[in-house]
Amino acid sequence: MLHTLILIAKLIRESALFALTSIVANKLRTVLTLLGITIGIFAIISVFSVVDSLERQIRESISALGDNVVYIKKWPWTFDTDLQWWQYANRPSPRLRELEEVQRRTGSVEAAAFLASTRRRVEYLTTSVESVSIAGVSADYDQVRNFSLHSGRYFSQTESSAGRNAIILGYDLAENLFPNTDPIGRSVKLFGHNMTVIGVFEKEGLGGFGDTHDDSAVIPIQTLAQFINVDQDRYGPFIMAKPHPGITNAELIDDLTGVMRSIRRLPPVAENNFSLNETSLLTEGFDELFAIITLAGWIIGGFSILVGGFGIANIMFVSVRERTSIIGIQKALGAKNYFILWQFLFEAVLLSLIGGIVGLLLVFGGTAIVVSVFEIDFLLSASNILLGVNVSIVIGLVAGFLPSWSASRMDPVVAIRSTA
Amino acid sequence: MIRVENVWKSFDEQPVLKDISLTFERGKTNLIIGKSGSGKNVLMKCLVGLLEADRGRIVYGDLDFSAMGYRQRRVIRKELGMLFQGAALFDSMSVTDNVMFPLSMFTTMSRKEKEMRAAFCLERVNLHGADHLQPSELSGGMKKRVAIARAISISPKYLFCDEPNSGLDPPTAILIDKLISEITEEFNITTVVNTHDMNSVMEIGDKVVYIYLGELWWVGSRHEILHTGNKELNDFVYATELMRTLKK
Ligand SMILES: Nc1ncnc2c1ncn2[C@@H]1O[C@H](COP(=O)(O)OP(=O)(O)OP(=O)(O)O)[C@@H](O)[C@H]1O
Ligand SMILES: [Mg+2]
Repeated sequence: MLHTLILIAKLIRESALFALTSIVANKLRTVLTLLGITIGIFAIISVFSVVDSLERQIRESISALGDNVVYIKKWPWTFDTDLQWWQYANRPSPRLRELEEVQRRTGSVEAAAFLASTRRRVEYLTTSVESVSIAGVSADYDQVRNFSLHSGRYFSQTESSAGRNAIILGYDLAENLFPNTDPIGRSVKLFGHNMTVIGVFEKEGLGGFGDTHDDSAVIPIQTLAQFINVDQDRYGPFIMAKPHPGITNAELIDDLTGVMRSIRRLPPVAENNFSLNETSLLTEGFDELFAIITLAGWIIGGFSILVGGFGIANIMFVSVRERTSIIGIQKALGAKNYFILWQFLFEAVLLSLIGGIVGLLLVFGGTAIVVSVFEIDFLLSASNILLGVNVSIVIGLVAGFLPSWSASRMDPVVAIRSTA
Repeated sequence: MIRVENVWKSFDEQPVLKDISLTFERGKTNLIIGKSGSGKNVLMKCLVGLLEADRGRIVYGDLDFSAMGYRQRRVIRKELGMLFQGAALFDSMSVTDNVMFPLSMFTTMSRKEKEMRAAFCLERVNLHGADHLQPSELSGGMKKRVAIARAISISPKYLFCDEPNSGLDPPTAILIDKLISEITEEFNITTVVNTHDMNSVMEIGDKVVYIYLGELWWVGSRHEILHTGNKELNDFVYATELMRTLKK
């Protein structure tokens, strides 16, 4: 048994040698056929890579938002009730005062924070940046929103509650204002006042929802409240609430609904005049979108691969016919049928694999370009490489089987007639 | 030894071999001669099993080849060396790989063993140093030598050569003939050569078999062939001006 296996292994190697030389000998024909496979694998794997990368980024930015955080807002993220837009417009915005009530009266909320934002100019000495998004956040913002600091620290309890002039800069903003200096401990000018930089956020890159800290600055809500009325609609105020571990989103929403209704003293018949938005629901739409893109990738790639597969089958039939006498001589010199079969099958797989690998290389090149030009995190994953390779092998096997079978069954007398 | 007993073969009702009975002995170079279309190749293909005889038997040693199935015949095919017309080397493989091919197919030798055997065979056909050349880099005579080396690589008991010196200049043709004859004696092989070259007949014909229109017309040695009264054989032997001049 072992003996037979070793022999087969040897024969496959011999076959491979034959196959390789024939592929090299027919370069142009080979290249043309492989184009189909190359395009097919390129289409499928690049679509997969795009979908993978987008999915990962969206998942990352959602987890930055906190994937179980509920946003109490005037506007819903998705319009699925039968209210008219003006009915939403007439709603009151969440207020800073309501945050304290939410914190006090809910049982399921572990941490909650209030956020309102505006746009202002920020200056440091002679440098200034216009229209920077300035967010005022309440003390527990750091427990609700996931972020990390590049340097410095988050607001202390006193800075938050007393509304001290402390500011945390986004990474890109800090780069712009302080190209050559460490910003920590320096003062920037905002609302005509000096604010001490106490921290810089880590670079977050392109988030899925444009809520990155990179170009903005964050100050305590009590500080912001000294310059603007943070409860006003135009500052887009909202409350974020994060549940205790083990609390489901449904429970949290129930709790928040009850508390918000009682804070706003809504009679039982009245509609909610606030929206409770779940980050986890955001992904649902994307799942569908990705399923469609993936399907499109398979269809486009599938057609190319089908064409490529027929091309390979055709090449192999030609190749079998061209090598009729060689097959005859091989058989006369002792080659068994399966040796011939393997030889051609191996050639077909090798062809298909070369096409597929070129396709993968194109995807790889493409990702490198996208990464360097658009600075987004986009890569050809190992599992997609494996998928591309496997698809190529299967195509080679399927397309090559019939020609190889016909070669192996060839009558040696017919095969050898031209020679002996 | 190979025994051919009453072999018949027809194509489309047209008999090509008619009741051929013959023996080919060990250590001897047996030549099958005859005009084009007389059936030499058909006889040879029947011998090696590339064609099945309609009637009659072919016996290798004491094994009835005709009665065997494809698988059983592999035992005998292992002992058959074949030299195809025009050498028929694998163009994609080096000289050494060509010579090693039957070893890979029929034996379980390691690569080292195969290489050693190939080197030995190439040495025997005076081609040492050509082992890594490609067939395209060889002259016609060298290709023939490689083909001979490939045919004898499996240490065959039987060697079949189809017009081994076709397409070669006379001195090279003689060299190839001589090589086949030497190897036949040296390794005690039963060799069957299919040819229509009278030079070969005179140089190496231990036993000469003349086929005429599918029939066994004459059997004898190269010494006897010049002095036979057989008209059809004489027509073949003295077909050239050279032979006619020599006769006088
Ligand atoms: N497979 C086949 N099918 C039909 N007819 C065949 C086949 N093989 C040979 N023949 C016929 O048998 C006859 C003998 O052919 P063969 O090849 O044996 O001639 P030959 O003696 O070798 O001639 P040459 O010296 O030209 O090679 C020819 O008429 C040929 O057409
Ligand atoms: Mg012939």
